[in-house]
Amino acid sequence: MALLEMRGVTKIYQQGKIPVPALRGIDLTVEQGEFTTIFGPSGSGKTTMLNMIGCLDKPTSGTIIFDGKDLGKLDKKGLAQLRRYNIGFVFQSYNLIPVLTAYENVEFALRLVNRYDKKQLKERVLQILADVGLAGLENRRPNELSGGQKQRVAIARALVKEPKLVLADEPSANLDSKTSEEVLEVMVKMNQELGTTFIFSTHDPQVMEYAHRMLEVRDGLISEDQRRDRSHVSD
Amino acid sequence: MFLTKLAIKNLWRHRNRTLITSTIIAFAIFYYILLDSMIGGMTQMSYQTLIDYEAGHLQLVNQAYWVEEEELPLENLLVVDEQIISDIEKLKGYRGSSPELNFQALLNNGINELPVIGKGIDPERFDDVFFLEDQYVEGSMFSTGQYQAVIGKRLADLLQLEVGDYITLLVKDKNKTFNTIDVELAGLVHTGNPNVNNNFVYLPLGLVQQALNVDNQVSKVIIRLENAGLAKQAASELRDKVKGIDNRLQVYSWDELEAVAVASAKQAGAQLMLVIILLIAAIAIVNTVILAALERMEEIGMMKAMGLQVKEIVYIFVLESAGIGILGGLIGVILGAIGVWLFNIYGLDFDAWMNVDMASFGIPVIGKMYGVWNPQAFVMVFSFGVLVSLLASIFPAYWAADKDPVKAINHR
Repeated sequence: MALLEMRGVTKIYQQGKIPVPALRGIDLTVEQGEFTTIFGPSGSGKTTMLNMIGCLDKPTSGTIIFDGKDLGKLDKKGLAQLRRYNIGFVFQSYNLIPVLTAYENVEFALRLVNRYDKKQLKERVLQILADVGLAGLENRRPNELSGGQKQRVAIARALVKEPKLVLADEPSANLDSKTSEEVLEVMVKMNQELGTTFIFSTHDPQVMEYAHRMLEVRDGLISEDQRRDRSHVSD
Repeated sequence: MFLTKLAIKNLWRHRNRTLITSTIIAFAIFYYILLDSMIGGMTQMSYQTLIDYEAGHLQLVNQAYWVEEEELPLENLLVVDEQIISDIEKLKGYRGSSPELNFQALLNNGINELPVIGKGIDPERFDDVFFLEDQYVEGSMFSTGQYQAVIGKRLADLLQLEVGDYITLLVKDKNKTFNTIDVELAGLVHTGNPNVNNNFVYLPLGLVQQALNVDNQVSKVIIRLENAGLAKQAASELRDKVKGIDNRLQVYSWDELEAVAVASAKQAGAQLMLVIILLIAAIAIVNTVILAALERMEEIGMMKAMGLQVKEIVYIFVLESAGIGILGGLIGVILGAIGVWLFNIYGLDFDAWMNVDMASFGIPVIGKMYGVWNPQAFVMVFSFGVLVSLLASIFPAYWAADKDPVKAINHR
């Protein structure tokens, strides 16, 4: 079943009186459980596309269907609800809350979905932090963590609520190759066990290695859509 | 619950800013409490000077006279018979009573003339009701039957009069015929009551009754009780008794006087100050919330991406502001309590401080002025402080929370 369908999606920004098209008519179907990367040069429309998929922005024209719901028909509240329960985000700039510890930053996302009791919640948060290699650093605040550690907290925050879709903008940008691999393994595990769909914007060949599908975006259009066997990725 | 925890943590995120904003609120609250205490003190003193020098606790008067009292008519006067005196003396907490005959007059020193209020009094009974005895700056009270008068020092200065000088009062008697009263100045007084200082001329009652041709009638009988708290009940008690003697008679307690209503209105006017103070607090809060929101814009964007509703983000900011309001309120209330406590112990000496006679401005203060404790003001200003902090933050918080998530995330 398709988790996401984009039909004729365009996005035009106004810079003063000049219209600047960021997406020129995207047609895309993403199935549940796909591991997709989007790549392309800067300004090609990757981030805009991620924002559209993540229900953060609305298209100028076209239709986006997420999990059977037409996003154009949802109001702000409805879109927020959809993001809350179904989508996890990893941004390049982490955007962690500085007054909260690593544990609390992750706990925050899980509290919002209100799915676990107190004990389960704690176990789940500690588990995901351990999975991304942050065991023992739970009580550190973001200013006490390195860039890579902060990125891992951001990843844990996106994964902890087990969303249907995880969107990540350059998730491995601040990670060394070993950590990057560890984190990707966690994601692959979630992808395989829970059927979580991942869509990444990346230039990192290591991340692309893990993808089922690679979309190249140029000038606001999908210029190449490559599917491939991922049997080389370890289970 | 988690949002509450986050709001509390955010409160200490920029400690200095939180403390500065709280201090502004605290100062505003402290200032209001002191001001309230001072105005309360002034009002209390004005009530006291009204009772001590002008109105006593109760006034027995003809109902028709009371209605036209401002004109100081010589009609609808009353005759105080023995039955009435006996009823008055039986009142609970009775201290004394003094009849007075009030009239309009022009005071002439031979060169200039000023309109004044003449008061025919019985000097033997006057001191049982009024506390003029200790307020003489020169001379003393006259005795019954003497052709003498007592006036305020300020009025005397205006007309360049001294004790021993002769004054003439031009009056109209009951039949509207002009008459004059010539008396020697026996004493000059200075009180916290501007009427006594500027307008009143005290004369022997018998002399005035004769000059005004009103026989043994008086305008009213002023009664003093042990304390003001007894006035209401005593008024009601005496009212019932005198109605049986003459149903035109009426008894009023001090708090029914027009002057008291004016003093209360002045106190109510002070509430305007509260509005100004709360406005200061509101501006401080709006400023703080906007600064915090701008700083945390990316974080707000992230929260929106995580699915937080606008109202949840607003809740975080509003709670933070309420926290600042509570902190500022507590500091303000504690400082205010210390201020009022010191004010009550040491008082404010306007005479020594500014070398100004406050009574000349109509402010009934002679010597030191003390504040009053008003717990209601503490509770009210604290509650309003917190409420205003909370309300003032809603709009800027909503402005931040309603931002487009993409723009918020890419704020920088």
